[in-house]
Amino acid sequence: MADILQILILGLALGGVYALMGSGLSLVFGVMRIVNLAHPSLIMVGAYVAYWAFKLYGVDPMISLPIATVILGAIGVLLYKLIFEREARSAKYSEMTVLLTFALAMVVEGALGTAFTNTQRVTSPGYATDAFFIADIFIPKGQLYAGIVSLTLITFLALFMKYSRFGNAIRATTQNREAAELLGVNVNLVGLVSFAIGIALAGAAGALVSFILSFFPAKHWEWIAILMSLVVLGGMGSILGTVLAAYILSVVAAFVGFYFGATWSTLTFFVALFVVLLVRPQGLFGEKPELA
Amino acid sequence: MTTLETGDILKARKTYNDGLASSIEKRRATWFPIGLMVVLMALPALQFVGNYNYVIHLVLYTACYVVMASGWNILGGFTGYISLGHNVFFAIGGYFAGMIFARYGVSTIILAPIAGLVAAMAGYAIGLITLRVRGPSFIISSLALVMIFRIFFENWEFVGGAAGVSLKANSLSVVWAKLPYYYAFVIMAAFAVWVSYKIKHSKFGLGLRAISKDEIKAESAGIDTRTYKVLAFAISAFFVGMAGAVWGEYLTYIRPNIFLVILISVNMVLMCILGGKGTIAGPVVGAILIVAFNELFVATLGASEINILATGLIMMISLMFFPLGIVGSLAQHNKLPRILNWD
Repeated sequence: MADILQILILGLALGGVYALMGSGLSLVFGVMRIVNLAHPSLIMVGAYVAYWAFKLYGVDPMISLPIATVILGAIGVLLYKLIFEREARSAKYSEMTVLLTFALAMVVEGALGTAFTNTQRVTSPGYATDAFFIADIFIPKGQLYAGIVSLTLITFLALFMKYSRFGNAIRATTQNREAAELLGVNVNLVGLVSFAIGIALAGAAGALVSFILSFFPAKHWEWIAILMSLVVLGGMGSILGTVLAAYILSVVAAFVGFYFGATWSTLTFFVALFVVLLVRPQGLFGEKPELA
Repeated sequence: MTTLETGDILKARKTYNDGLASSIEKRRATWFPIGLMVVLMALPALQFVGNYNYVIHLVLYTACYVVMASGWNILGGFTGYISLGHNVFFAIGGYFAGMIFARYGVSTIILAPIAGLVAAMAGYAIGLITLRVRGPSFIISSLALVMIFRIFFENWEFVGGAAGVSLKANSLSVVWAKLPYYYAFVIMAAFAVWVSYKIKHSKFGLGLRAISKDEIKAESAGIDTRTYKVLAFAISAFFVGMAGAVWGEYLTYIRPNIFLVILISVNMVLMCILGGKGTIAGPVVGAILIVAFNELFVATLGASEINILATGLIMMISLMFFPLGIVGSLAQHNKLPRILNWD
């Protein structure tokens, strides 16, 4: 029983971070219809910002988190202006943007690899290896803090989307771009801002990931499949769905890892992705996708 | 005044169409690919005057990618389903032939067609599942496929897990050792290009191209889109698997991190995009350029990270500025040189 509770807690703790990693991806897909395969590589950039801030200046990842968020937000604006704005007119938009973000992911990976080599890194503030003990059960501090921060950020995002005027404009654009435009929403601005927010969230997630998972530039390929499984299970474009899927799958993966060995735990996400596409392509909360 | 009979009209139309076809046929530079083949077949004669193993290797490597890119093109170019996971079939072909070679010593060159068929069957089964969705969802599922296969191959003890299996090198002298693989790849490349041409000019190919334009319309026009797509997937897997079979023996070992790295599937996609998706000459042009770029970057800059960076940049630039690829863009402006008009 203690075992099961323990695994549940570990799964939930990791789920919080995955939720933040996936929510930016989901936001960008919802508004822009871009499957941003470069998202995890940008999370990686955030992780390196936090890593070097800690390594060189001893800045705690929690403090460098806003810095990483701002830097990545700026990168997001730049990418949108340079690449995605001009693609909006493309006839094969969804295919083009997937391939472009894929290429972008390679550029980021190559740049990070050239600058920082492919060494495994992890930020190591004191709490990263520390834990709380409640009777027999231990709660790793790093994952707990990261989970709390990530849930706070997601809550802010949800409140912003629900109650602010601009958040409503974003949701309207997600639901129906043409109708929103007809009603006077500046969809280009909405696109720019939500893309920037999405990438900024990648930066925040990167700072948190930096002390939870060890990372190196090429690792983003593993993350992309994990994040995609969250977004697909949650329903493409539904942030709530992504968060829920993150918790469900992390807990399942934790149990799989416990009973069958750690190697198979990541497999949970990939198999889930396949099964969802096969059985219920629209995911938990998504609209029906183009079915073939 | 004469009345026009239906038969006359049909006959006139047929004459007109035949005229068009023959004028295209006259402009076609069939001698070029044939001449190219003759040159490539004779190229190993260089070995009589010195050691040109590097040249042989480069042509072999390019030919290997021509097989794979042409195979990918049948699905990605004709049908428009972008798969980022085609190296899975490279691995299936490589492991199937490699394991039989390791255990029973049957040459992978002989096994290549069978390995291709095994890959095609796997492709058929996988296609039945993943081709249910299209657009972004399909691309995502193809990426996940690579991850799943990588975990399986790394943990499957029978095929050596992550360490893989090393294969016996052949007993030929250094000068001639590469030749069997060289001829195997060049012939496979020619076969892949020829099959692409045949498919493009068949009813099947027409159906595939209809799917890439508008799948719903294609279906309402009576095309069995499901069967077409899955067959295209299987055929493209066939070529990639065949290339994988011989590639393993050429390298003398099979290991997950040779076959199941993302760069291999990216290269296939990139070659088709750069050369021109859906054209016959496109994958060939793309393969030559990308292999040349790679050699240049690795030779001058030395680091594989820079190679990844450069590959990504080339892909972005070609997608943003000439999405039809070299052959496609030239053809659109009527500037395609005759020697590259293989369609």
